[in-house]
Order: sequence, then C-alpha cells, then structure tokens
Amino acid sequence: MPKRKLDAGSQVAESSAPKKTRVNGNEDSPAATSAVLDTPSKQRSILKGTPKKFGGIFNGEETPRSQRKVLFTTPSKPDEIEGPPESTTTLTTARNDRSARRKSARLLLEKTTLDNASEDDELAADDAIAREILNSSDSEEVEEDGFDALSTIDNIPIPDAPDTPSKRGRGRPRIHPRERKRSPTPPQDLPPHELYFHQNKPGGQKISSNTLPSHLLLNHEDYLVQIGGWQDSHQVERDWLQRLHARAFEQWVFELEQGFNICLYGYGSKRELVNNFLEQLCAESGTDQPKIIVVNGYTPSLTLPIILRTIASAIVPKNALSTLPNQPEALLAALLSHLTSSTPANKIHLVVHSIDAPRARLSQMQSALSRLASHPSVSVLATADTLTFPLLWDASTRQQFRWLFHDATTFAPFTAEIDVVEEVNGLLGRGGRRGMGGKDGVRYVLKSLTENARGLFRILVSEQLAAADSSSPAHDEDALSSEDEEMFEEVETPSKRARKAKPKPKRPKVRRTEVQEGVEYRTAYHKAVEDFACSNEIAFRTLLKEFHDHQMVESRKDALGTERLVVPFRREELETLLEELV
Amino acid sequence: MEYEKVYMFQPANDRPAKRRRIEPQGLQTSWKQRRLAFDRDWSIPQRAIDARLHSINASTVDKVWTYLNLALKPDQPSTIRTGIILTGADGATEAGISKKIAEKFRVGKHRRILVPLSSSSGSNIKVLLKTLIQKAISPKFESSDNDLDDDDGELRTTRTKGHKLLNYDLQLLYDHVREHKKEQVIVALEDTEAFDSDLLSEFIELLGCWQDRIPFTCLLNVATSIESLQQRLSKAAIRVLDGKVFDVAPSSDEVEQVCEALFNSGTPLWIGSSLMSTALERQHDYIQSIDSFVKAVKYACMSAFYANALSVHLNISIEHEVIAADHFEALRQLDSFRTYSRRLLDNNEVKLLTTYLESDEALRALVSGRIAEGRQKLGVMIHVLKVIRLLQQKLPNTQVTPLSSLYVQALSGKLNGSPLLRSLLLTIRKVPSNIAASVLRALQLYHLDNRDLLVDMQPVLFRLDSLIDAQRETSTKPLRSEDDIHNSTLRTTVVAQKVELSKQKSALSEQDRKYTELLVSLSDCLGEFFEETLVDPADLVFHEIFVYDLKSPYREVFTPRPRHACERALATPHDYLDCDCCSSQQDGGNAEATLAATQPATAVLYQLYLESGSLINASDLWHAFQAVLGDGKEDAETMALFQRALAEMRYLGMMKSTRKRMDHVAKVMWHGL
Repeated sequence: MPKRKLDAGSQVAESSAPKKTRVNGNEDSPAATSAVLDTPSKQRSILKGTPKKFGGIFNGEETPRSQRKVLFTTPSKPDEIEGPPESTTTLTTARNDRSARRKSARLLLEKTTLDNASEDDELAADDAIAREILNSSDSEEVEEDGFDALSTIDNIPIPDAPDTPSKRGRGRPRIHPRERKRSPTPPQDLPPHELYFHQNKPGGQKISSNTLPSHLLLNHEDYLVQIGGWQDSHQVERDWLQRLHARAFEQWVFELEQGFNICLYGYGSKRELVNNFLEQLCAESGTDQPKIIVVNGYTPSLTLPIILRTIASAIVPKNALSTLPNQPEALLAALLSHLTSSTPANKIHLVVHSIDAPRARLSQMQSALSRLASHPSVSVLATADTLTFPLLWDASTRQQFRWLFHDATTFAPFTAEIDVVEEVNGLLGRGGRRGMGGKDGVRYVLKSLTENARGLFRILVSEQLAAADSSSPAHDEDALSSEDEEMFEEVETPSKRARKAKPKPKRPKVRRTEVQEGVEYRTAYHKAVEDFACSNEIAFRTLLKEFHDHQMVESRKDALGTERLVVPFRREELETLLEELV
Repeated sequence: MEYEKVYMFQPANDRPAKRRRIEPQGLQTSWKQRRLAFDRDWSIPQRAIDARLHSINASTVDKVWTYLNLALKPDQPSTIRTGIILTGADGATEAGISKKIAEKFRVGKHRRILVPLSSSSGSNIKVLLKTLIQKAISPKFESSDNDLDDDDGELRTTRTKGHKLLNYDLQLLYDHVREHKKEQVIVALEDTEAFDSDLLSEFIELLGCWQDRIPFTCLLNVATSIESLQQRLSKAAIRVLDGKVFDVAPSSDEVEQVCEALFNSGTPLWIGSSLMSTALERQHDYIQSIDSFVKAVKYACMSAFYANALSVHLNISIEHEVIAADHFEALRQLDSFRTYSRRLLDNNEVKLLTTYLESDEALRALVSGRIAEGRQKLGVMIHVLKVIRLLQQKLPNTQVTPLSSLYVQALSGKLNGSPLLRSLLLTIRKVPSNIAASVLRALQLYHLDNRDLLVDMQPVLFRLDSLIDAQRETSTKPLRSEDDIHNSTLRTTVVAQKVELSKQKSALSEQDRKYTELLVSLSDCLGEFFEETLVDPADLVFHEIFVYDLKSPYREVFTPRPRHACERALATPHDYLDCDCCSSQQDGGNAEATLAATQPATAVLYQLYLESGSLINASDLWHAFQAVLGDGKEDAETMALFQRALAEMRYLGMMKSTRKRMDHVAKVMWHGL
C-alpha cells in the first residue's frame, strides 16, 4: 500500500513540473474514471429500482441506493470490486485505507463493548485484519509525510486538500521562513469579490477528510502551562501601541465631557488600555472620584437586571434602593428619571468591555444601554471586538449612542474575554455544549458521583455506541452529522461502502430515521435495573437529573415521540470515556 | 475583576507608578486655555442652533397639541382620534415631534397618559398590549402624573379585587384609567412602517373596541405616505380611525436652518469647505437626523480647539505673556504668515517684519487684528450669500441656491466669478422695471437691516428708484432693458440668395435707454461688490487659525471602517506593529504580505484562512500552521498558539463551527468585501 502511494507521489512530481495551479494530473484521474463509470452505474440503479417497485422483490444483498447526488463517486459494485483497481491508485485509495483503519478500530471496540463472546470465525478474521491495519497506521503516517515532503519541495499543492492551506511535513528541510512561498492554490491577485466566488464555486469543494486527533488538542491545564511559558516577540511593539493610544486619553476625556460616547474597535483586547484610561481618569480627578461602573460584556451569564442593579446601587441612595421596581424596563425608567431629577455633579461613567459579545449583543441589552447612553449625565466608553459590530445598532439606537469611534488596535491577547479551550472545543464540535468542560469535565463530574451513577453513565455510553454501530456507515462517520450533507458529500463514502464485507441490511429504510441516536428511555431504564444501577424509576430519574444538570445527557424526542437519551459527544470521545469507565 | 459581570471601578492605589501624572509637553501645554476658549466660543453657536432646532417644528407641535386637546372631547365616541404626522424619510431616526410633545407633557398638569410604542415593543399582539399596559400603568414612565394618588409607586399589573387578569388584558388599563380618572391615553407609534401590517390593523381594531371605555388617541409617525398606510391597514381598522395629517419640515430644510443659525451666530471658528461639504453630503446621502449634523459641526469645533494649538490665539482676552513662547514660534511657521512676510518684504517694510519676527507682543497684536479682520470678512461673506439668495428669489426663472451649498462654494474661494454669479448678473441686466423695482426694494430693505453693507451701491439704487417712480407716473407699461431679447426681433432677409439674420432692436424710448444704462451700472456695481467681498479664505492671513478644514478626524470618528482595520491588522500586522521582523518591504519591495514565523499567531492563521474555501479542515489548517510557526518549538507550544488563534478567530466572528463535516470549520468572512 505505501509503495503505491509513493508511486503516486512521484507521478505527481513528474506530471506537474510546468506551473499548474490546483488541478493537476493525478487529481484528474479519479474524476475522469468516475465520470466514465458513473453513467452506467446510474443507469443500472434506475433499472434496478423499477422492477422492485412493481414486483416488490427485495434482494437483501443489493440494497437500493440513496438518490442523493454524490459529487465524486466511484462506481459502487459491492460484489465485483474487492479493492480499488490498479489504475485508480490515487488518493481515494489512501482514504479508503484510512477509513478501513477506522472501521477496524470500530470493530475492535465493538468486541470490547459488547463483550461479544461469540467465536465466530469470520469475526475473528476481521479482527485480525483490523489489528494488522491498525498496527500499520504508524508506518503509514511516516510514508504520508514523505509523500508530502516530496510534493512540497517541487512546490505543488497537495492534491489531497486543494482548498485548505497545504500541509507540509514535519521532517522536510527548512527553508528560511521569509522565503517560504505561499502555496499557489488560490489564483493570485483576484479582487475580493472574485476570490469569494472562486472559493464558493458550485460543484462542491474538495476537502480532505483528515481528522485532528483528539490527543493533540490541549486541555485547560496544558494550555495554561504552554501559554504561560510562551514569550511574545512583539511585546515591545505592543507596549508601544498601548503608549500610542494612551496619548489620546486626554482627548477621550474631552470627548466624553462634551456629551459624546466612545467606542473603541480594532484587533486585540482593549481591556488593559481601558483600565489604564480609567486609572488616569481617577488619578486626575483627585479627591472627587468619578463613579465608574464597568460591565464585562463577555461574561456568559451577564443579564440586564444585574447591570441596572449595579448602576442603581451606585447612584440611588441606599434607603431608596428597596423602593425601586424589579422589572428591568421599569427599573431603567426609574433610573433615568432619577438621573434627571437629581442630576449628579459628575457624570456617571459606564464602561462596557466587549459590547458585541454574545450576551451583551441581545437587543434588550443594547436598547437599554443606548437609552442610558443618551442621558446627558451618563457617558459610555465601550469596546467592540468583532468585525461586524456596527450592524448591532439600527439608525435610532446608533443615534442615541452618540458614538465617536476610535481605532485602538492593541494586538493584546484576549485573555479574559475568551476561554480558549472551550472555544476551540465548541468550534470543532468536541465536548458538547459550552460550559460543560468537555470530556474532562465529565470525568470530573463522574468522579464525584456514586458508583451507581457511574454505572448508569457507562450503560448510556455503551448503548449509544452500540446503537451508532448498528446504524448506517455513513452516519457513524460523524455522530453529530446533519442531513444537509448534499454539498459536501464525502469523496470516499461510496467506495468505502463498496469495500464493506457485509452491507448492513438496515441501511435502506433508515435514511431519515437514522438521525436517531442515543438510547431509548425505556431501554436505558431496563438496562439500568438489570445492572443494579438503580432499583426503581424514581432513583433512575434522580440519577439522570444529575447528568442533565451537567449537560452530560440530553433528552430528545424522536419522530415517534419516544424519549431518547443522548450523550452529546463524538464517537472517539465516547470511546475513551467508556474505556475509563469500564 | 475581569471575571465579575459588573463592578464599580476602584483605582489601584497601591501602584503609584501607574498614577504618575503625565505633564503635557510642547504645544499641548496650552490645552487648558484652549479648553476654556472652546467652552466660551462654542456656547454661542450651540445656543443659536438649539434655539433654531426648537423653533423649527414649533408650529406643527402646537397644532398637534391643540388637536390632542380637542380630542379630549370626542364628538364621535366610536372612533379614535388620530394625528398622522408625515415625517419624511428620516422619521425613524427622529422621534422629534413625539419627543417635543412628551416634553410638553412633562410641564403641564393634566390627567393624560402618553405611551410611546415602537416596532420593537412587541412582535405580536399580546406582547404589544403588554408593553402598552406596562408603560401606561408604570407611574414613572413619561406620564406627568404630578398628583400621585398612589404613593406606593409600585407597578400594579394585578388587580386587587376580582379575579386575576392576564397581563395583556386591556381591562387592567381600563381599571387604571378609571381609578386615576385619566382623560386621555395617547398611543404614539414611532415607526408605523416597521410594524407588521396585520399586527398594526389588529392593534388598532382592538383599541377601537375599547374606545368606549378607554379614551384612546393615536399619534402615528408616517415616513412614507397616507396612501401606503391606508393600504396596509385593514378596512375595519381604517373605519375606527379618525385622522388628521400634520406635516413636518423635511430634513434638508432642517439642515439649511441649522446652517443659517450657525453662520449667523458669529461663530469664532469657521468650518472649511471640504469638511462642510463632506458633512452635508453624508447628511444628504444617508438618512441622518439633524442631530448627527449638529454633532459633526460640534466635533469639528472640538477637534480644532483640541488639536490645533494655535487656536489659543482665538481667545483675544488672553495676554500674550500667558501663552507659551513656542506658540508664537509656531505662528511664524504658518504658510499664510510666510506669504504675508513676503508681501511685507516686497513692500520694503523690513522693519515691521523684524518686529513681528522678534517681538511676541507685536505678533500677538497682529494676530488679534488679523483674526478679527478675517472673521469680519467672513461675516460679510455670509451677508453677501444672503444677498445672492435674495436676488435669486426676486428674479424670474432663477433657482434659489441653498445657503449651505453657496457657503461651501464661497469658502472654497470658487464662488467669485462662478457661472452662477455671472448668469445672475446677466439676468439682472435684462429685467423689466417692475421686477427691478422689487429687487430694489429687497436690496434697500436688506441695506436698512444691515447697515453699510451696500453703501457703495446707494447712488445707483437711488437713481434707478427715481427713474422707475417717474415712469410709473407716466405709463403703465414697465421699462424694458435693451439686453432683453424679448425686445428685439429677428429678421430674415434674402439678399442675393443668401439668408441674412439681423437683430433688430425694437424701438426703445429715451427712458428705456436710460434704464438700461442704470441696469448695467447696477450689475457692474453688484459685480464689484461680489468681487470685493467674496474673498478666498485661503488668502486671509492666519486663516489656519480660524478656518478649520480637516476631513480626517471627522471621517474616522463618524464613519469608521472597523472591519477593514481588523483585517488589515491581521493581514499585514507590520502596518500596526512597525516591527523589524515582520516587514515585507525589505525583501525586494514585495509589498504583499507574506507569511512569516515572526508574525503573531492569529495573523498567521488568518492568512492561511484567507486562502481556504468555505469549509476548512482543522487538521490541515493545523499542519499548515505548524509548518509556519512550529520551527524549533515543541508541538504543544505551537498547539497552544494554534488553539488561541482559532479561538480568537471565532471570537472575532470569522469562523463558526459546522456540522457538515467532522473536524471542519466554516469560513464566515472574506477579505476586503
């Protein structure tokens, strides 16, 4: 197998010596072959479909194929093609290898989870193959790197991932960083709109199906250690930027005094800058300290009443506090009228960090802030981080804010604003919902729970894995996958199906229902009782409640209305969890 | 503190280094003085503008107010009295009328409730009603309930007696109205167009149903037209309404008014033509309320005083000793002073020049004098602009140019000798005496109002006047000018098979001839007058001090390009950081940004991101990132940077997670769009 790949690599090197962008020889080949073979297979499937409809003859082996368009399809002839033909020794095969590896991993797992004691010969054979493939994975990795190095030296984009930045091997000889050429994948010097259309061309994108191994991503602890030890080479320049902005402090004071409000934008965290400004503001005002209320817009649990309450405690005398209404709308009105009737000597400074953060973005919050800002004895200093923040405000809100915008690019890291590990987990769809702490969080929660609770969770996880295994192969690729895959149909899916020794009989009917995941509530309960994790439904519910509270389990209703319990994790994470639980 | 949600800021007292007060240096030392000058000087135009803004729609407000008073005694109890206020296109940004009415509410003592509702108050009938009831019942909200019967001041949405009602039941409002003996509940819809038409119809119909119990009156702000409002409402809703239309001054009118107020106020600082035209253009192109224009003018004034150290000289009362010496040094560097010195040299006034160069006191005197002179000249210029407008008004077939655009032209020094003026003068030569008489009267009146402005013209005016008076006694026909083409006929004669065109002056009387002469001298006179008064501000000595004409802070502060700024920071971090390591210039002048390991991690990731399509494979991205940055570093360290960069990109709104494929992220923003 690796040998074949090397061949492909050298082929590439030879064929695309003249400058070619993006589409080069070896990439054409799978497309070409598929184009040729595509038509007959389609025709056949139509023919196949018709008699079935009328005669109702159902052949268990030949399952009807989904009608969806597959963009890069190789003919699927389950019984004819054992492996890919020699002519198509391309990346498809490489991918097939990888998916085979995944499949074998699944097989292994299946064995361990289900404690399947059946000594089926076939299964054992599969097992052996699976182990072999798994073991070969390391060497393959090396080969892959070699292949990459080969291609990059000749400055050819990896056909594997034409649209993503080309990856380079770790082991390749280093060129000086400044001389490194960018991969010529996107055509150079396109105007922005052309580039947009180029990158959004219909006809689908070719993206590699590489996955980022979980162990590479750092958890909170490791991340903090690494970032703590990291030295920014631009510290001097960043300090210089801070000083540059600090020279405008006097101007800001003047602008705020004149009834304008300031909004700072630009890349980098502006927290420190603003805090320095506030320090100076306090230092200059001497004994008569201004009242400054700071709102951290990026905190995930920020609510309007909290802001209003804090403002109220700052401006309203203590004895009158209890008479204030509770509803935010009424409270705001009361505050504004209080400000009008007893105008404070100094302006109230309202500082909003990240006024465009998700929580602060809510329209209720913005309209309340704008009404506060429009009051003559309130001045607002806000920072905005996102690129599109001006869209937050419609004409009238914007007018109420009376903004003056200043570019305050600092290049400072968003240490307080972002929980990096959480964000990345959320971005890559790992570790479920926000605020749960991912897999590590679950581990932590489980540690503090009873043995029975751990038992129940183990049941849920293993059942979910088992259910996922019995559902479609396309689906187990991604536990979270949704139906709208049309555009990005995976390249290797059909051929992988082709390589399947036993096509799953469940596959045909469940294109819709396969969205079902997790365990049915009843089943889970019965399993739990069988395993003595709980004795009655009340206990079962109590245990579940704990999981719900930590968002380790979600309950969903399927099409028929039966409740299903789902552990919101990706497959491999479930697997590691299960390993630890067993 | 960074993990608190909201907190009161306390300065860190334990860090004295931070609290070190930075003493201003150089020209910035005069900031305090300039600040005072600004406070004094801006207050004049500010007051003038405020007064004008207040009076702009005063009559409309009064009309609406009377209408509301009338509606107190309904003659048809089944319909809702409705004031429809046609606000024009900027109605949404400006709750002007209803705000003014609300102000009126606050002063008087009466038993009415004003409830302003906007489209954001509720998207369905229940929420809308709930908001209406809450706002109406809430004691502190806008209702000028000065005689508080209920001193508990508590929001009462629940009934004390009877069964509990849902919070959108108008019965609650009815109870409140009955209890407090309210005479009128005014529902002001601020942006009628933004409401869903079904919702609006339903709402009005419902109010109509309760009209017999709750005395509703509506105020609708309509930005489009009555017809479109009528189309949007259901028949039943229209039947309920009994409307009256009120017009509001259009926003362009408001701008003119504010401009006039500003120019008349004797502002010490004049805004230059390019800044003014930018502000006017923005006002015209985007629907902005008049407030934003006033804000722009104010900000221009602020930046002039803040950033131009020489504006300290605008305050004439300051003694020259108080002003630091470098401010005089700066004065001597001004371009206009240099040209002035050149002129002095050419006139052999070397001695005078030396005193200016050596003595601060003498220079100070010169500056004060010249600034006063320059201001006076600009003040006269405004009068001239008004004279031009006056002439345009009186002359037939001439469009009246807005004052603001005349101002822009005049301050750019291009009005003098412009086609506009030339055609104006030509038209004057042609007018018959009846129109000339009205022009004369207008000029005379203007002269009386503003003494010694048109003093040179007096003899001509006087002679013309007497001539016209004499003519009026003898005949009813007006005097005609020779130059008027109506008085000449074209003749075609065929001479030797050629057509000859000849202009034949029709017979003109002796008086006509005299009249023409006088008209010519009048137009000459006016021409000279314009020539003399329409100075180019750039020719005035020290114009840098009292004419402010910089576009840049205005543009950056009011119309920022945040997306561009962020993208630039990430795509070419060198532009901001100005570091040696990331500069792309040094290798062969290739201005385009290149990836370099020295660049900030997010910048590197962003540039990789730019190259990718709409879905990005995280693993590939990681490998590419590692290839750029991972040189000689541990994987874990690079990964930490990678994760941080990813998280930042997501936070900035450039990436989002996708469920389409595993381990992929979706690209959200394209560079430069």
